[in-house]
Amino acid sequence: MTPLAPAADPRFAEIESHRPYLVRYATAQLRDAALAEEVVQEALVAALEGIAGFGGRSSLRTWLTSILRFKVVDFQRRTIAERARQVQAPEGDESDEGWLDELFDETGHWREPPAAWGDPEAAFEQGRFWETFEGCLGGLSPLAQRVFFKREVLGEETDAICKDEDITSSNCWVILHRARLALRGCLEKRWFGKDASHGG
Amino acid sequence: MADEELDCRAASRLLSLTHERPLTAAEREALRRHLDLCFMCRNFEAQLEVLHAAARRMASR
Repeated sequence: MTPLAPAADPRFAEIESHRPYLVRYATAQLRDAALAEEVVQEALVAALEGIAGFGGRSSLRTWLTSILRFKVVDFQRRTIAERARQVQAPEGDESDEGWLDELFDETGHWREPPAAWGDPEAAFEQGRFWETFEGCLGGLSPLAQRVFFKREVLGEETDAICKDEDITSSNCWVILHRARLALRGCLEKRWFGKDASHGG
Repeated sequence: MADEELDCRAASRLLSLTHERPLTAAEREALRRHLDLCFMCRNFEAQLEVLHAAARRMASR
């Protein structure tokens, strides 16, 4: 999606930097990345128009998210009939546990033992950590990205998420477990591990 | 479950599950016994907390 054209307000660049998070938020709700990009674009245009009304009482991201939330709900209302006719494409059987064999040997031990990561606060202070985190999230399946985002980022209840996604609780748990294993592996490789070269 | 020793594969599943629902007494006990002996799964437990903290931080950064 085209970045917003730079203009007078110095906060334009800052707003733009929140776009990946907002797209992820919208994708979790709308289940369609292209659609999410469109709705985010609408929300960011609205945000720029209303930037004077942002009083700094919350973080910029929280403010942008609240605008986006309205746009998403509005969009869902407009297309509810349309969505009902759409058939969800299955994303493969998530209850198949063959994938665990890549992480654990036949005696059930870690093939690559998790390391001690040290203080995460130092990482959280760095912009590049968040780019890495975003990149690792992007490596998950679309379904896993949505479920993890709703559960861990938005803090929704697991039961509500499963219902939304039309999957059983146990399937949901497997998806989350798999997502966490993948994310920890990715972060260890790219950030926290002794071989990671993030320069931070 | 109470009489069985967990392997890392099963222990990691329970560690992840603690973020979804409270464990049963038997699950907790089996997990505790495994964690007492296994630094790798203790590291995994701490990593899950980092993931959780990072995810929550992401929403308001």
